[in-house]
Amino acid sequence: MNNSKTRLFVFRLVAVALLSVGMTQVSTAGMIGTDALIEEQARDGRITRIEQLIDREDVARQLTELGADAEFIKARIGNMTNAELAELDGRIGAQVAGGDAIGVIGTVFLVLLILELVGVTDIFKSL
Amino acid sequence: MNGGHRSHDCRPGASHALALFLSGCLAACSTIPERVSDYGPAAAAAELTGTPFHPQERYQCGPAALMTILEASGAGTDMDTLIRRVYLPARQGSLQTELVAATRAEGRIPYQLAPKLSSLGAELKAGRPVLVLQNLGVSWLPRWHYAVVVGVNPEADEIVLRSGTERRRVTRTATFLRTWRRSGYWSLVALRPGEMPAEADRERWFDTLAALEETGHIRNARAGWQAALGQWPDATVARFGLANSEFLLGNWAGAEAGYRALLVSQPGLVMVRNNLAAALLKMERVDEARDEAMRALRQAEGTAAYRQAIEETLAEIDAAAERM
Repeated sequence: MNNSKTRLFVFRLVAVALLSVGMTQVSTAGMIGTDALIEEQARDGRITRIEQLIDREDVARQLTELGADAEFIKARIGNMTNAELAELDGRIGAQVAGGDAIGVIGTVFLVLLILELVGVTDIFKSL
Repeated sequence: MNGGHRSHDCRPGASHALALFLSGCLAACSTIPERVSDYGPAAAAAELTGTPFHPQERYQCGPAALMTILEASGAGTDMDTLIRRVYLPARQGSLQTELVAATRAEGRIPYQLAPKLSSLGAELKAGRPVLVLQNLGVSWLPRWHYAVVVGVNPEADEIVLRSGTERRRVTRTATFLRTWRRSGYWSLVALRPGEMPAEADRERWFDTLAALEETGHIRNARAGWQAALGQWPDATVARFGLANSEFLLGNWAGAEAGYRALLVSQPGLVMVRNNLAAALLKMERVDEARDEAMRALRQAEGTAAYRQAIEETLAEIDAAAERM
């Protein structure tokens, strides 16, 4: 009993200590750090790059043929987290490094990759 | 002469992160891309013969290489301090992140070059030796090694290094690139406050300065943002960064001026407005602060992250109003 009381006390002490550390950070914060703007701009850049790809005539046509809706995909992209967007952008980038996207991997593959990565299809489980 | 490295192999602890790097690299980089191996326009031989040399103890190429670039940048430090800072005896090596953090702690700005031979040559011409991470083994049996590039010679196709116990190790460029590639072309330059990399990559440089801000090296961050604005006068991130360093140094009026100037051209930047409110509050201009914070809150509709920050600012404003 005594033991568990001590433990509870220590737990509370640690909790208060941790909390107060967090609070001093918040109150000196007030100011939003520069990294937040960098992250926001990186996000906007990725979305623009991916959207431009989707807007390409050949990609758009391929999407339609597969019965996928470009606007729906764009909405999905807008809801992706920064980490997910970075992965999508990086995956596409890795496929096309050093060359034009479509020329290197082909429209169909690219479209399927996009669909997979935004979670519309489930083709490349092993990719 | 290859054996020279063999007895001085030196493993950074970050082999896991590196393995990831490498696996991503296996398919794509069976050959070195030309944009990496190109010496750059008007490439001439350059060698920093005056670069100090610290022959390493076994496994301690991390501290030795770091000492070399720090000393070359004029930072007064000593080997024992660096070994304590960056050497992990249990892993018989140093983590790259430790080298970066130690560079900051020594008052220098740690910048990672874009993965190009031309950037490397440009740094040498600017008088700065470049620390590199090499894998002298093979990808499936890595032997990590930190060395310092002090010279390039495009004509002879050679790279000159301070490496291990060799003061002047000359390596064929192709060989060097192969060993460097296996680390994801990892490099580190120690810049003095206010200096810019010779071929600054804008995003890399901004990330570097934001990291200085985050780790509390505000004066060096401020000098960096000022230098960045010399090269990219309109860069929103750099203007925000400069105003933020003024804020963090307690120069509220300077911060206010910076935030206001940004908001003239980009009134929709919610985080800038939030910070303006915070600066006004510091100057006890509570009503103005509240106006700006309320406006920021309206603009932040739908973005959870900023809303929370702004609501915290507002709470502080209310608390200050009650005290007055």
